[in-house]
Amino acid sequence: MNVLMNAKILSVLAATLLAGTAQAADPIKIGVPVGLSGANSVVAPSVVQAAELAVEEINAEGGVLGRPLKLVVADDGSGAVGAQKAFDALVFRDEVDVLISMETSAARNAGLPIVQRGRIPYIYTSFYEGRSCSPFLYVDAWVPEQQVPPVVDYLKAEGAKTYFLIGSDYAFGRGMLDFAESYIKETGGEVVGEEYLPMDGTDWTAIISQLKSSGADALITSTAGGAPNVTLTKQLRGAGVTIPYANLAVDEGTAKSMGADAEGILISASYITGIDSDENKSFLKAMNDKFGGDLRTPNDLSVPQYEGVYLYKEAVEKAGSTDPRAVLKALGEVSFTGPRGTIEMSKQHHAPLTMYLGQVQADGSVKVVESFPNVDPGEQCPDL
Amino acid sequence: MARRRRGLVLLVLALVAAAVMLAAPAVLDRFSLNVLTRAMIFAILAITVDLLWGFAGILTFGQAAFFGVGAYATAMILTHVGDSAPYVALGLVAAVILPMVVGAMVGWLTFYPGSSAFYATIISLVVPIVVTQVIYSGGTFTGSSSGLVGYWGMPLSLEGYFRLAGVVLVAVAFAALVFVRSDAGRLLTAIRNNETRCAYLGINTQRIKILLTVVLAGVTGLAGFLYANASGMVAPENAGFVFGTELVVWTALGGRGTIVGPVLGAVGIGYLSAELSGDLPFLWQLLIGTLFVLVIIVLPNGLAALVAPLKAWRKPPPPPTLVALPVTVPRRTGTAPLLAMEKVEKSYGSQKVLADITLTVAPGELVSLVGPNGAGKTTLMRCMTDGAAASGGTVRINGTAIAGMLPDAIVARGIGRKFQVASVFEDLTVAECLRMARACHETPSLVAAAETLALPASAIDILRLTGLDRMLASPVSLLSHGQKQSLELAMVVSLEPELILLDEPTAGLTKTERSTIGTVLKTLTAERGMAAILVEHDLDFVREISSRIVVLHQGRLVVDGTVEEAVNADIVKRIYSGGGHE
Amino acid sequence: MSLFLDVVTSSAVLFIVATGLLTIFGVLKIINFAHGAWLTVGGYCAVATTQTGLSPWLALPVAFVVGGVLGILTERFIVRPLYARPLDAILATWGLGIVIGQLITLIFGRDVQFTPSLIPGTVDVFGTAYSAYRLFALLAAVVLGLGFAFLMEGTRLGLSARAVIMNETLARILGLDTAKIRTVTFMIGTGLAGLAGVLLTPLTSVDPNMGVAWLVGSFMLVMVAGESFGTLAVACLLLGGAQVVVSTYVSPILGGITIAVLAALILRLSPKGFSRA
Repeated sequence: MNVLMNAKILSVLAATLLAGTAQAADPIKIGVPVGLSGANSVVAPSVVQAAELAVEEINAEGGVLGRPLKLVVADDGSGAVGAQKAFDALVFRDEVDVLISMETSAARNAGLPIVQRGRIPYIYTSFYEGRSCSPFLYVDAWVPEQQVPPVVDYLKAEGAKTYFLIGSDYAFGRGMLDFAESYIKETGGEVVGEEYLPMDGTDWTAIISQLKSSGADALITSTAGGAPNVTLTKQLRGAGVTIPYANLAVDEGTAKSMGADAEGILISASYITGIDSDENKSFLKAMNDKFGGDLRTPNDLSVPQYEGVYLYKEAVEKAGSTDPRAVLKALGEVSFTGPRGTIEMSKQHHAPLTMYLGQVQADGSVKVVESFPNVDPGEQCPDL
Repeated sequence: MARRRRGLVLLVLALVAAAVMLAAPAVLDRFSLNVLTRAMIFAILAITVDLLWGFAGILTFGQAAFFGVGAYATAMILTHVGDSAPYVALGLVAAVILPMVVGAMVGWLTFYPGSSAFYATIISLVVPIVVTQVIYSGGTFTGSSSGLVGYWGMPLSLEGYFRLAGVVLVAVAFAALVFVRSDAGRLLTAIRNNETRCAYLGINTQRIKILLTVVLAGVTGLAGFLYANASGMVAPENAGFVFGTELVVWTALGGRGTIVGPVLGAVGIGYLSAELSGDLPFLWQLLIGTLFVLVIIVLPNGLAALVAPLKAWRKPPPPPTLVALPVTVPRRTGTAPLLAMEKVEKSYGSQKVLADITLTVAPGELVSLVGPNGAGKTTLMRCMTDGAAASGGTVRINGTAIAGMLPDAIVARGIGRKFQVASVFEDLTVAECLRMARACHETPSLVAAAETLALPASAIDILRLTGLDRMLASPVSLLSHGQKQSLELAMVVSLEPELILLDEPTAGLTKTERSTIGTVLKTLTAERGMAAILVEHDLDFVREISSRIVVLHQGRLVVDGTVEEAVNADIVKRIYSGGGHE
Repeated sequence: MSLFLDVVTSSAVLFIVATGLLTIFGVLKIINFAHGAWLTVGGYCAVATTQTGLSPWLALPVAFVVGGVLGILTERFIVRPLYARPLDAILATWGLGIVIGQLITLIFGRDVQFTPSLIPGTVDVFGTAYSAYRLFALLAAVVLGLGFAFLMEGTRLGLSARAVIMNETLARILGLDTAKIRTVTFMIGTGLAGLAGVLLTPLTSVDPNMGVAWLVGSFMLVMVAGESFGTLAVACLLLGGAQVVVSTYVSPILGGITIAVLAALILRLSPKGFSRA
């Protein structure tokens, strides 16, 4: 299946490259550096699909300012060194007009100096630990200030007073739990344990034993995506842990495939497939029509990518050109109503978002328990 | 002269390469500039891996860790302390010094007497893992998994960084090439070939390896400094074990032991992967992996080996001219015997191999040690040259007890040992082997291969008598068995030892060669005041040359006397009639 | 109590993972750096077995056979030319590991795969509810260890293998087919690695990199253990125990590097590890 996937990306690339010389109107190039290999490669295909749909839809409507959009995808290896190559290739070889992508924090940081040298806009579409600031960078996904409070408020309402926090030892894991800890304290709760395992750690035994002996009422975890999430959940279930469990880092797709092991887990996201809106329904249908059997479940990383493309379209139209300076100014002013609702990156280059608290059901689906409209991202970049 | 000309050619090539680096930004696009700048910085690392692995035989994944330490030192100073010119300079100093300090610790941990090649590899795995973990745990100080970004480094343009990285790469490659062709550089190959022989030539191989690790850690740190500046960010993966393995992959593909090969490997793969891997990430890694396995199995010397035949037409450097050193009679200090063994014993578990050995040897003596196989002759020799060998009793050299001393320290006290199976350096030439034997008398040059080779007259005699003096430029691997034996003897004699230990020096030699060696030994002992202990089975030979005979039987000294006494002793007749020896 | 259980079961898991590596290193003096890839292959055998609707337990023999067959091919074409170059063998097998990882990615995709737990739930041990599967892992480790002891001490193959360990030249002179013994040993080692991969699946996710995380740890344990299963068990108990204790009382992050650092120090002090003691 993945072979097909790659072949598909290749053929798209080839087609777009060929098209470049044939098309009358010069296309607007959108660079998508993304982790096709490495840690992010599980989710990257869904991100690429979302971007492809957005580009197809926009081009079908006549493009942007009469020019078609063109995607240029590059693998960043989910890390810093790969990202440098990918950003260099996109910015300086392919000379894209904008970068729109979901990436690891290390890859984003590695790319930023290159973006600054290339002086083009960069829309970052991944939720992250927050406070990445650059005049060239806009973010349309959530930060801890938006994601954590719904979870803690819900657990508190359920009667939890003591919390145990478990994370992977990296910027996102620590950033999320540090915020969670301070928020829990602010709201009168108590953190009885906070433990981290190295990112590639697989043996949670000692931490789970500590969790059990701590007698905590609820568990909040923020591990690296993919494997650590799965190993921790499996080992928690194996050890018979049954206290309420909120996972700040699991995506809907992973939760779904974990099946019964994931039942009852609380997740907090700006996108859940079960959102009941016309925009979401037509988005899901369009995705299904376009990709059919190859469809990767849309998620909290791919939908911001989809909306990122639209936000860029709006900004270019508002600016009247692809001139980076004008587009960068417009990006903070335009809005787009997509599957997640109306998105506007108006708050210090970040976006207020509607957050959803979901709970994994026995069949793997995620039920929306509660929604929190227009959660503010807080003071992310006061200097911008 | 020819040597100097070769050096000159290299210098001209380096200057041309540097000029190309300075001019290249004019014709390269920004994408290539950026990609090549980083690839060239990584190529500096590949050179250090090549020196360690390709030349000295130390397989290391740890260079990534030193690189990371250097890069993070720079980035952390620029982020947290300050970014004006003095702080950039401070970053440079820290980026070189800190990795050297870590390198010294790692070197001390890795290279100890008796450490195995595997152990060095293990440590080189642990170091990047630990460094990466420290970075992850460093919070905002190190930026954890996100790395550090957004600091200001040297105020250079893209072109400026390209030129800087290019010139530094050319300089490092030039220095490395000069070094590996120098006499000191050949020492690395000698250590890789035969560390024991090095030790028994009085060379402290551990110290050299630690020194090499420290110096290369500094070079690696310098590359880290360049990287932190040029890329404007550092990330944990720069210090990780996976990056360390990539460096080895580039070095292996390019061609280990060639310096230029790894540079081309690092730059070539770096550039190609930037061009291609974005489009076919998994296929690209599959391709590199497969190529790597094939190269290791089929082309251990890398892709450089494919062009090696082209080098064949180039004339090899001429061998150095032999120069005889003035004859010196060993200066004796004090009156203690040269060798004094007292009640020495050696046992393996409950098995006693040597018991109650008491033996003294004075200058000028030529003592033959005889006895049937398994009598403990070789073990006894080992007890004389390795402070850790004996399990009891004392061994004194010139009055100093050697217990706990390492072979190289004991050799430095005036003992030379020739092994039973010729122990020489397979990848060196005859002249280079002899140069190694003089290394502890005459520190080899770090930058040049000397035009002359000064040896004691007796060593030159051995070379002349065996015809090796006409084969100085020949690779040792092409020598016959007998020639290797003679070469080793010449090497040991070149040490100018006061006491020379020879384990079956005539085994496998022709009658003529044998008498040649006999003559040399007689001259050395009778005229130059050297003492010799000889393990020998050929009783006729022994009778002819010995001044004294010691008979070892079942781990005990049963006879110690003149040739006459020994030959007529009953026990000797009994052993040798029943022992099946000639 | 739960600390004690954590120590023994963690050690048991490490033991299971390291046996395949030890088998090969003990007899052939070759470090199979593709060991992680074989664990992964084992994990995917479990995925494939359950996807075809068979009992997950059936994955154990399947993984042993698949791992073994791949091992025979590897020994023949990659390792055999490198017996005289042990450091190059490390590199060639590392490269092979990359290749296997990429092939798995191309066939199964990058996604994290799921397998049902072999034994779900907990068991009461002296009043502590403890993971049933971890206790099973302890049993499996003991069975593996005893089984191997029997193989080495009680069978002709074991005798031949020990002969090769002690003196290969002599073994050959005595008429033993040392090439065949090497192949069979390598096959058993890689088969065991595949088996270990299946046994890991209830504890970890199955993805193309699942084995790599275990590689360095098992490598260290084997270096410390030398060549016998007894010393491997001791090494796993001591170092695995240290890992659990450090994780529990100091920090799980330090716990993560405990094995590697302790092993390096042990080898520095006693170059032959535990095999001499």
